[in-house]
Amino acid sequence: MVTVFDPERLEEIEKKKKEWEETTLRENLRRLGMSESPCQFYTPLDVRDRDYLQKEGFPGQYPYTRGTYAVPVYATPFGEVLEGGVVAPRAGQYAGYGTVEETRDLWRAEKRRGANIAFDLPTQCGYDSDNPLAEGEVGRAGIAVDTLRDLETLYEAFEGLTTLDGMVSNFTINAPCNIILAMYFALAEKKGVPLAKLHGTPQNDILKEFVARGTYIFPPEPSMRMIRDTITYCSKYAPEMNVISICGYHMREAGASEVQTAGFTFAHAIAYVQLGVDARLDVDQFMRRFTFLDFGGGMDFWREIARARANRRVWARIMKERFGAKNPRSWIMSGGDSIFVGPSAYTLQRPLNNLIRGVIGGVMGYLGAGFTFGGFPWDEVYGLGHSYEARQLSLDAGRILRHEAKLKQVVDPLGGSYFVEALTDEVEEEIWDVIRKMEDVGGAVEAVKSGYTQREIARSAYKFHREIETGERVIVGVNKYTGEEELEVVPPRLVPHPYDPKKLESAAERQLARLARIKKERDQGRVDSALKAVHEVAKKEDENLIPYFMDAVKAYATVGEICDVLRDVFGEYEAPSIL
Amino acid sequence: MADQKPIRVLIAKPGLDGHDRGAKVIALGLRDAGFEVIYTGIRQTPDMVVRAALQEDVQVVGLSCLSGAHRILFPKVVQLLRQSGREDVLVIGGGVIPEEDVPFLGERGVQAVFTSGTLITRIADYIRENLPADRQA
Repeated sequence: MVTVFDPERLEEIEKKKKEWEETTLRENLRRLGMSESPCQFYTPLDVRDRDYLQKEGFPGQYPYTRGTYAVPVYATPFGEVLEGGVVAPRAGQYAGYGTVEETRDLWRAEKRRGANIAFDLPTQCGYDSDNPLAEGEVGRAGIAVDTLRDLETLYEAFEGLTTLDGMVSNFTINAPCNIILAMYFALAEKKGVPLAKLHGTPQNDILKEFVARGTYIFPPEPSMRMIRDTITYCSKYAPEMNVISICGYHMREAGASEVQTAGFTFAHAIAYVQLGVDARLDVDQFMRRFTFLDFGGGMDFWREIARARANRRVWARIMKERFGAKNPRSWIMSGGDSIFVGPSAYTLQRPLNNLIRGVIGGVMGYLGAGFTFGGFPWDEVYGLGHSYEARQLSLDAGRILRHEAKLKQVVDPLGGSYFVEALTDEVEEEIWDVIRKMEDVGGAVEAVKSGYTQREIARSAYKFHREIETGERVIVGVNKYTGEEELEVVPPRLVPHPYDPKKLESAAERQLARLARIKKERDQGRVDSALKAVHEVAKKEDENLIPYFMDAVKAYATVGEICDVLRDVFGEYEAPSIL
Repeated sequence: MADQKPIRVLIAKPGLDGHDRGAKVIALGLRDAGFEVIYTGIRQTPDMVVRAALQEDVQVVGLSCLSGAHRILFPKVVQLLRQSGREDVLVIGGGVIPEEDVPFLGERGVQAVFTSGTLITRIADYIRENLPADRQA
């Protein structure tokens, strides 16, 4: 056995610990009138069998327990830019207001140099703005993109500031992902920018849509085929584009525990990696373009830290041992190592408390050696559109953790803690257990089809809520400390946002007029033949649909029209009843 | 009380919003509280919601929406219920609903709005207290 402790010394510690329990601890409990201690206490005995080099090692090296990089993101200039939390470094903040024209003008005024596009729900679900099912949702949760013209208009925001080969574009789009990518590629062609020079990330993680976020369209198999198409097409023509951003966040927010979130996310990731392997691509090549979003987070401080440390180890082992990846880049969760408290832990009651919850998440990030920030703005609970005051507070919270408290000084400061190392092992085992159970039900795709994952998440969400309902889990201002003597602290939000929400009221109307105009102007014959080609190719499982989507979008076929053709061939996903 | 038939509730997600944690938790919670609960699943049109309500002969419809479309979709459900002659059905709502929208929805027949942090016992009590007497049984 390889242990960092001297075995004789360990025996002595064991003896001394017993003595301590019988004397000091017992005496303390007697004075307090308690029968047992409310706290756990750890010693080297709890980590006695550990092989340091095998289990922990060094930051930036397998198995990454002590950090993804030798110098953590939080200590780099890149981290400085990121510390605003919701402010992504190059693509800019996730946004989309009303129509493409309005968002274009806003982005231009902000002098943005990157696109991080929020699409409205109809676009995400493959419905045009004029579809009856889109009523009430057009331009709401983001912008409507019906045709290539919408993307062309949006990207006018960057004219004179940057070009497509000098910027990053992020698309939070899943089921119709390849149609939006085809639009982006068509836009690049029109501007004379080679696809090989494009940088960006589509979300493209359909499995978590089936189980948590809900913007699915087609059944799991054809959906997975289209992700294969992204992988194979991009590896050949757009090798600098990321192909997927694998998400745990939405499942965590939907109610999955930290361990379930990790296990489900890895099970999904395994299914996606397998697509590339089955397409006979070199795993070390295509993994360069796989990214992770994050795993969300809650208020269980220690478990969240242990989960983050265990995650790095689990993923490294999956890639190295299961998929035989040789390049260390394939062993890390690129982008997936952030640690924070997610907005589902935020409360509408006494909402400024959310600032404190966010800061606790920021501390967790440093202690778990992941990427971190000052938390989501406290007013996230009111819906989309944070106030400038709330954003300022989050930004400053991150800065205070970094510069005043100097949390960035050490890499993985809890490494070697008897407690945290023991808990990391324990949580790791729990994560493997979730992954094994997913394999037992046939893997991620089968788990979605049978409703297994959905049921597990719903069960956890309900359990969590029951704990609040019974008082077993305390949420300050929600189920405890709610008496009349408590003060509801709500700070003002007065700095006007540059986007006037009144514009939202008429956004749908304006988008409908835009769509009608494009439909009238386009060459309908070209649209029809392009859609016919999509229909034919959709039936051939081995073929890649992206070039055919490109022909269709260039003819200004709509997202809804293309999706309707695919619905015709693939059918639609029917959610299994899970209650 | 003992041999009274349980109150039937339809929990529905109108619109394209897929955030269904709240809807599912409420459905499970009301079921545990002794109600008979039917959950529609996500992506329902107001028309589908009302058809389900009529078919299942529910006394209560609980609508959940987190996308911002509640101002259009919730009143539409009420309107369609009234057109079907079922103004007796108690319509309540939840989700990310700005405070200023609560009176707007109230005027349009959404009788109560329960947002984040509401305990299910409170919703259960509200339903029991606010069902018209002739619909209690």
